[in-house]
Amino acid sequence: MIQVTFDVIVIGSGAGGAPLAHILAKAGKSVLVLEKGPLFRPQYQSPNQRSDFKRDELISDGAEKRIQLAVANKGQAFYSSHVEPDINDEPHIYRDTEGSDKATIEGYTAQVVGGGTQLYGGVSFRYAPLDFRLASFNAGRSDIRQDPNDDIKREARDWPISYDDLEPYYTKTEELVGINGESRNQQKPFSRDVYQPPLTPNGISEYARRGMELLARKLNPLNPILPYRTPLAVITRDHAPSGRKVPHDPETEKTSYVNRYGDPLGLKSSTWVSLLSPVKDLPNFIIRCNCVATRLTYQNGKVDRVYYIDPSGVERFAQGKIVVVACSGIESVRLLKLSAKLDNGFDKAIHQNDLLGCYFMTHCFGGASAILPERFDKSRALDAGWATDCCATEQFLHDHGLWAAGALYNNTSDGALPISLFRTLGALDLDNLWDGFMFATDLKAQALVNYLDDQFGRGLSISFMANQVPQRTNRIELHPTVTDKWNRPVAYIIKNWHQHDRYLMDTYANMAAQILHFSGEHLSGKQIEAVKFVGKGGSYLAPNGIVRIANHILGGARFGKDRNASVLDVNCRAWDFDNLYVTDGAFMPTSRSGNPTNTIEANSFRVADQILARL
Amino acid sequence: MTTKYFFKKDDQYVLNRCTKFLSRYNTDARHSYGAPGEQSERDRIAEAWRFPIIDTYGGGADAVSDPAQFNDYNEVTFIYAGADSRSPASVSVIGTFATLYEPIPLERAIFEDEPTRFWSLTYVVPKGQRHLYRFIVDEAFPVNDPVNPQLELQDNGQSWSRFFTDSFTSPLEMEPWELAILYRLAAEILPFQTADATNFLNRFYDCLDRATKKNLYNNAYRMDHSVGEVNYIANILAREERHHLIGYKKCLRIIDRVLRQRSPYMEPENMSREIYFDLYNEMATNQVAGWDYSQYASPQFFLYLLRRHVVTGAFCHPKYGGNAGAAGWAYLSERYFTPAAAPGQKPQTLFDWRLSMEPPLGVNADYLG
Repeated sequence: MIQVTFDVIVIGSGAGGAPLAHILAKAGKSVLVLEKGPLFRPQYQSPNQRSDFKRDELISDGAEKRIQLAVANKGQAFYSSHVEPDINDEPHIYRDTEGSDKATIEGYTAQVVGGGTQLYGGVSFRYAPLDFRLASFNAGRSDIRQDPNDDIKREARDWPISYDDLEPYYTKTEELVGINGESRNQQKPFSRDVYQPPLTPNGISEYARRGMELLARKLNPLNPILPYRTPLAVITRDHAPSGRKVPHDPETEKTSYVNRYGDPLGLKSSTWVSLLSPVKDLPNFIIRCNCVATRLTYQNGKVDRVYYIDPSGVERFAQGKIVVVACSGIESVRLLKLSAKLDNGFDKAIHQNDLLGCYFMTHCFGGASAILPERFDKSRALDAGWATDCCATEQFLHDHGLWAAGALYNNTSDGALPISLFRTLGALDLDNLWDGFMFATDLKAQALVNYLDDQFGRGLSISFMANQVPQRTNRIELHPTVTDKWNRPVAYIIKNWHQHDRYLMDTYANMAAQILHFSGEHLSGKQIEAVKFVGKGGSYLAPNGIVRIANHILGGARFGKDRNASVLDVNCRAWDFDNLYVTDGAFMPTSRSGNPTNTIEANSFRVADQILARL
Repeated sequence: MTTKYFFKKDDQYVLNRCTKFLSRYNTDARHSYGAPGEQSERDRIAEAWRFPIIDTYGGGADAVSDPAQFNDYNEVTFIYAGADSRSPASVSVIGTFATLYEPIPLERAIFEDEPTRFWSLTYVVPKGQRHLYRFIVDEAFPVNDPVNPQLELQDNGQSWSRFFTDSFTSPLEMEPWELAILYRLAAEILPFQTADATNFLNRFYDCLDRATKKNLYNNAYRMDHSVGEVNYIANILAREERHHLIGYKKCLRIIDRVLRQRSPYMEPENMSREIYFDLYNEMATNQVAGWDYSQYASPQFFLYLLRRHVVTGAFCHPKYGGNAGAAGWAYLSERYFTPAAAPGQKPQTLFDWRLSMEPPLGVNADYLG
C-alpha cells in the first residue's frame, strides 16, 4: 500500500522546500515531498545518460501558443519553456492599469523538481545586514524622496531575525548547494568563505568590472567599494556534499545555455542535484512528482490532511506531523486560500488576521545596456560576471534620498545565442517575446547583417535588483472566474509600483548607465562615445511593467514577531496552526537588495533546525 | 536470438511526459489555437503535438546497442491514455516502422507500485524518417492516436496517425510550389542573398561530405540562398505550430495569384528579385495590390509570422530540420572572429558554438544531446 503518514510533508521541491527536506531526511525523519512538475534528470542520473534538459534554444521558449481564456489579452501569443506551466491550463491573472484582467506567464518559476532553481541564472547574493532593519533605518529620517504620504516609514519592517542569525545558514547554503564566487569586497560579513573558485570571466565582463570600479571611486574616492565576482550557483570543482563531478576542464562549462535552461550536466546547483539527490535513496525519503497539492484540511489546531492529485488524476491524501508549504509565493498563498475556501476551520485559523496574500512583492529591477566597440564570444559564459555593493551603503541611500538599497551586476548570457538575440529584440519581459523582431520589418537582408554586425557578441547589460516598498494593496487573491485545468480558481495578482519605487528604479538605472559610461572611458584612445547606449530604465517602464515580477516572488505571508501584523511567526509557522509552515519567498516582509534564492534556501535551513528540535 | 528495436522506458520518464499535458478535470477546449474547422478532442489537452515523444537515443533496445550508432536514431515513445487504471485491458501499436501485422504491446506505467492509466512503448527509429501507426485497444480494430494531431490521408481514403523523427527534410504538408514561394520570401529576410553570405554558403556546401550533401539536396531546394529554413517551417507547420498551417496555405495561394498577375507567363519561383522585394514591402505596410483580404485579412500578420519562423529555422538546432548542417551557425562563426595574432596562426572565431554542442554536431566532451 502507498505510504500515507509521514513526519514531514513538504509541498514544493525548490529553494523553499528542498533545504528543509534535505536536513530532515538526513536526520532520519520520514519525509514526503510533493512536486507538481516532472523529475527531469541530468545525464549522470538518467538510465540512458541522456538528460531531459537540452542545449536547445527552442526548449527555453518553445513553440507559439495562444491565450484562449476569457481575459482581455485573449489571442495573445506566448512562448513558454518546457517546464513552465501552460498559461491556458494554469494561468496567473493580473489587473492591468486600465483595470482589465490579463493572463501572464510572469510570476511563474518552473514546474519541475527543483522549481525555479532549475531555470534561474544562479545569481546567489546574500542580503546585506541593512536589509534586515529597514524600519529602524528609516525611522526619523527626513531625507526620503518621493514618498509624500510617508508610506515608507509606516510600511518598512525590520525582519524578526538579524543578519547574524541567518549568517551560519548562508554559509551552510553556499557549502551544501554549491556556489562559486568570492567574499572579498562584498559588504556582508562572512564567518567563513566556502565559495568554489569562479571560472575565468568572459572578456566582455572586464568592461563591467572597470566601470564598477570607476563608479566606486567616484562615489567614495577615499574608500571605494570595489566589485566582486557575482556568486553563481554553478559548481566549478567536484562537489563532495552532492557527489557531483565537474568536467575535466571546468572552463567548458561556459555555454550560455544557463539562464532559462535546465542543465543537462547537473552542474548548475538546482535543489534537485544539490540537496534532494543526496537523500533520494534513503528509505525514509519519498518524492512524489507530477502530483499537485490541491488543499489542506484542518483539525484541532493542525493541518490534518494534505490532498493531492496523482499523475493519473486520482485524488489522494497524505498526513504529516509537520506540513511545509513551499510552492513559490503566489502558488503557496493560493493553496492556503483554496484550502480556506473549502474548510471552515482552516479558514478561521489562517485568517486570524486579514493579511494572507497582502504585501506581495517582487523587486525593483531594471538596468542599462550598451553596444561595445569590441566583440566577444558571449556564447562562452555562465550568466553573470561582476557585481558591486557600492550603491548599497547608508551614505549612498542618504545622498540619494532612497529608503533601501540594491545590488548591481552584469549579465553575459543575454542575446548570446542567435535566436535569443532575435526574440528578445525590444522585449522587456516574457509576455512579449518576438514582437520586436516580427514588427521590425525593415530588419531584413543587408539590414539584418548590419544588425548582427552591431549586436552579436557586443551587448553588455548591467542589471540592478533592489528593494520594493511593501504595500498592503499589492496582493494575491483567488480570481473570481478563471480556473485552472483542475477547475480550481487561479491566482489573481493585484500590484502596482509605489512612487518611490519608480524613483528608486530611475536612480539605480542611472547608476547602471554610469557603469557603462565609465567602462568606455578606460578604452585607450577611445572616448565615452565608444560605448553606444541601447537604453536604460526600470521595469516599470515596460508596456505591461505593472506585472513585471522577474520570477522573484516574495511576500504574501510575511513572518514577524507580532501575530496581529504577520501571517507567520518568527519560525515561519502559521500563527494558529501547530504544524503548518511556509518557507518559500512568501515569508519575506521586505524584498531586499538582491536575487532572493540564496536567502530562501538559507531560511529553509534555519526553519529545518527549528522543526528538528520539536520532532 | 531475436533482436528487438523496442523497449520500455522507466515509469518516471513516462509519467514526466503525461501528467502536465494529459491529466486534467477541466474539459474546455483551451488549446484550440485558432485553426478554424479543426476543432477536436485534442483541443482539450495541452501540446498534443508532443505525442508520440521523439527523444535522443542512448541505448535500451538490443537491436541498436553500439554507442557509435546511437546518434543515427531517435527513440519514439508511444503513449496511450486509458480511461482509468483498469480499462482498457490491453494496448498495442502497429506501424510502418515495424511490420504492420505484428502488434507490439504497450505496458502500463506504474506510480508508487500502483497501475496508472498511461501506457507506453518505446521504439528505436532512424532519424529523418516519417511513419504511420495505429493503436489496437482491447484487441479491437486499429484506431488512430487520439492525442497526436498528425493524421495522414492514404490513397484508400483512410487516415493514419503519423510522426516524423529528427532532422526530417521531406516536407509533409506543403506542395513544391508553396515551398518555392516560401524560399523566395525567406531569402528577402535572411542575409543569404548578400554577396558575402552567398559566397560563404557556396563554400560551405562545397566542403560537405557526400552523405550530408545528399541529405541536404534530396529535396532539390535552392540551397544557394538558404540554410534550410523553409524545411524547418514545413516541419513545425506539420507539428508544433500546426495551427498556422491553414493560414500559410491561404496566404501562399493569394501570393501565387498576386505574383502571376504581376508577371504573367512566368512561374513565381523564377520571378525577379524585384518582384519579391516589392511584395515584401507591401506586406509590411499591409497594403498589397491584388491581395484577397476576404480570404486572409492581414498580409502584415503573415509577414510577422514568417519573419519569426524564418530566423528560427535559420539558427535553430539542426534536429528541427532548419539550419542545415549547422550552416546558419557556421555563417556567424565565420563572419565574427579575432584576426590571427601572428602570421601562421589561425583566426579565432567569436561564435564557437561547437564547444557546447554534442558530438558529432559539436565537440563538447561531456554533453550527449
